[in-house]
Amino acid sequence: MELEQLKKKLDEARYIYDDGLATTLFVALQLGRPLLIEGAAGVGKTEIAKVMAYALDRELVRLQCYEGLDESKALYEWNYQKQLLSIQVNMNSQDKDQLTRSLFSDGYLLERPLLKSIRAEKPVVLLIDEIDKADEEFEAFLLELLSEMQVSIPEIGTIHAKSIPFVVLTSNRARPLSEALRRRCAYLYIQYPDLDKELAILRAKLPHVDDRLAAQVAVAVQKLRASEAILKKPSIAETLDWASALDALGIRELTPDAMRQTAGFVLKNSEDLNAFDQPKEGHDCGGCGQCGAHHHG
Amino acid sequence: MAEPSVYLEKLAVFARMLRREGLTVGPQETADASQILISLGFQDRTQVKTALRTVFAKSREEQNAFDHVFDGFFLSEEAMRRQAQEQMQREAELEAARKQADEDLRIQGEPMHLREDLREVYATMPEEERQRLRDLMARYQGNIDRSPELYGNFIHSVFTRALLEQQMKMEDSGVGCQEADPELGLLYRDISQFKDTEIPRAISLIQGVARQINGELSAKRQQSGHTGQLDFRRTIRRGLETGGSFYRLHYKRKHQRRKKLVLLCDVSGSMMQFSEFALRFIQSLNQASDFSRTFLFSEDLFEADPFSLQNMDLFRTYVKDSGLYGKGTDLGTVLDKLCRLKPAALGPSATLLILSDTKTIDLPRAVNALLDAKRQAGRVLWMNPIPESKWPYVRSIQTVGTLCQMVPCSTLSALAAACRRLVQ
Repeated sequence: MELEQLKKKLDEARYIYDDGLATTLFVALQLGRPLLIEGAAGVGKTEIAKVMAYALDRELVRLQCYEGLDESKALYEWNYQKQLLSIQVNMNSQDKDQLTRSLFSDGYLLERPLLKSIRAEKPVVLLIDEIDKADEEFEAFLLELLSEMQVSIPEIGTIHAKSIPFVVLTSNRARPLSEALRRRCAYLYIQYPDLDKELAILRAKLPHVDDRLAAQVAVAVQKLRASEAILKKPSIAETLDWASALDALGIRELTPDAMRQTAGFVLKNSEDLNAFDQPKEGHDCGGCGQCGAHHHG
Repeated sequence: MAEPSVYLEKLAVFARMLRREGLTVGPQETADASQILISLGFQDRTQVKTALRTVFAKSREEQNAFDHVFDGFFLSEEAMRRQAQEQMQREAELEAARKQADEDLRIQGEPMHLREDLREVYATMPEEERQRLRDLMARYQGNIDRSPELYGNFIHSVFTRALLEQQMKMEDSGVGCQEADPELGLLYRDISQFKDTEIPRAISLIQGVARQINGELSAKRQQSGHTGQLDFRRTIRRGLETGGSFYRLHYKRKHQRRKKLVLLCDVSGSMMQFSEFALRFIQSLNQASDFSRTFLFSEDLFEADPFSLQNMDLFRTYVKDSGLYGKGTDLGTVLDKLCRLKPAALGPSATLLILSDTKTIDLPRAVNALLDAKRQAGRVLWMNPIPESKWPYVRSIQTVGTLCQMVPCSTLSALAAACRRLVQ
């Protein structure tokens, strides 16, 4: 796929991107490298995998990582109940070796996302979400899959990929990932969008919201992010929630009152809400979310 | 635009430069970069930069270093010509300044005995600073003529000191190359230089880094292995999931050794801001210790109430109320008091962590008291907010540095590295 084709597909998916992002996606695709995406929570890391699945017309296989995630949840597991039943049923069978062999065959194998992604007939997009939450052991285990596109199952042997998935790994940087894993990936860091991009996202995702309101929301969110007093910066998802909430309440103008009523959609901790409610006296406009509406709206 | 083959040849040199900047670049990355450049072409500089960054830089920090190297390496022809012209002009100016320095740095016609690097500092320092030194020389010219030896030495020592100070200032202005990214920039800036408006951002950075360190430690703890003894209860319980067969064995975990941390924070004048940040950082680390006591000091010692250290405003009020604020530092008295506390604050299982710049009155007494504290505590670690590059200029740091392990903590990034060392 050429870069221009990829851009066209991203446009079709109504995904707002800049040239840098499109080039990075193209490079990862072209080289067949997994793409490691880092950035603050809510900047749209997971969305990229979904959009790529749409753009490439592939199935999206998702593996959500968490502390304690192991091979049995990520790769495969034997269907113990079925194996036990089979043993009971075939207890009187003469050929014990055959029974043992059959217990570790495909019929008893439960595919988990990683195995599913490499055994699929048609290539898929594999999303390994929040890899930083998984343990380092799991990261090491992923290396074989990411570099050789194969996995080893002790009872069966090595399984080579039937099709090569496009792998997207996301991380919130809760812990640094190993150098070995990073080296195998193409890397993308996503920052919060600038005003134009945020407005474009609002218009693309919420076309029914009044243009003027969308612009006011985008300006206010930019100001909240720039404010030193706000510790948890609002993400794109929160911008969309906020605009939807305002629209649902029938608000057409982002007045200070409207902002106060709906602040909970965009600020998610009490310190930030307090800072929002009590702007310091003599503050400059840049540090205050409330000014976003009346000065610039 | 040159031929593509020229650029591909340059790629190997570029990869070597990236390696020198600390990026791990292997043959695979270089091969990937060539492949992608052939596919994308060389027409669009921004596109080439993004593509190469995707291949070579594997973290946000590496992206910063990459941008720096790329912008210096792949210059447009116009920029190259401009830079060459500027460089020639700079060299001509420097040559003239060196000649001027040779004339200025003389006492009674004889060249001053100055290190070569200090002569270079004189040649590159601002004209007003040079004029100040020339004026000083002119003022004392009569005295030098009368008593060349006495005033010659005096002038020499004044010049040496002024040039050393200037050298320190120049080294400081060199720091800040990370400022391209404001958030990362804060990580690499001197903590004492933070403005009030930057403090909330710094706090949220600390929380982020502390979360990372906690994550790392939690993963390490889980990997720390088991005692080798079977945990029957858990094994049987988990066996029920597989029809009673003991598919996976579970072992008893190792007990973690209890750690005791005694924090001694200098809150005299300029140290206040650093101590606030360092304390906040250490307290955000779940694994730093199982038990800790915090003492604040300047001329006197004061045990801090842990609740008063929870937020910055409370901390400042608390320090001001304690009467320690705005006083000098007397490490000798303070360490002596700490060692004599009943019940004892220090002990073989305790790590004494001192947050101070080592500047104190009566250094010999402080050294003796530190030796006493070292005998009582299991480990003494000194976190110093003065940048490591300046340590050779500060006598007290050189003295104290020989007695205990000293780690530089002038920036949040260095502080994070020091905290990692503390908990490992």
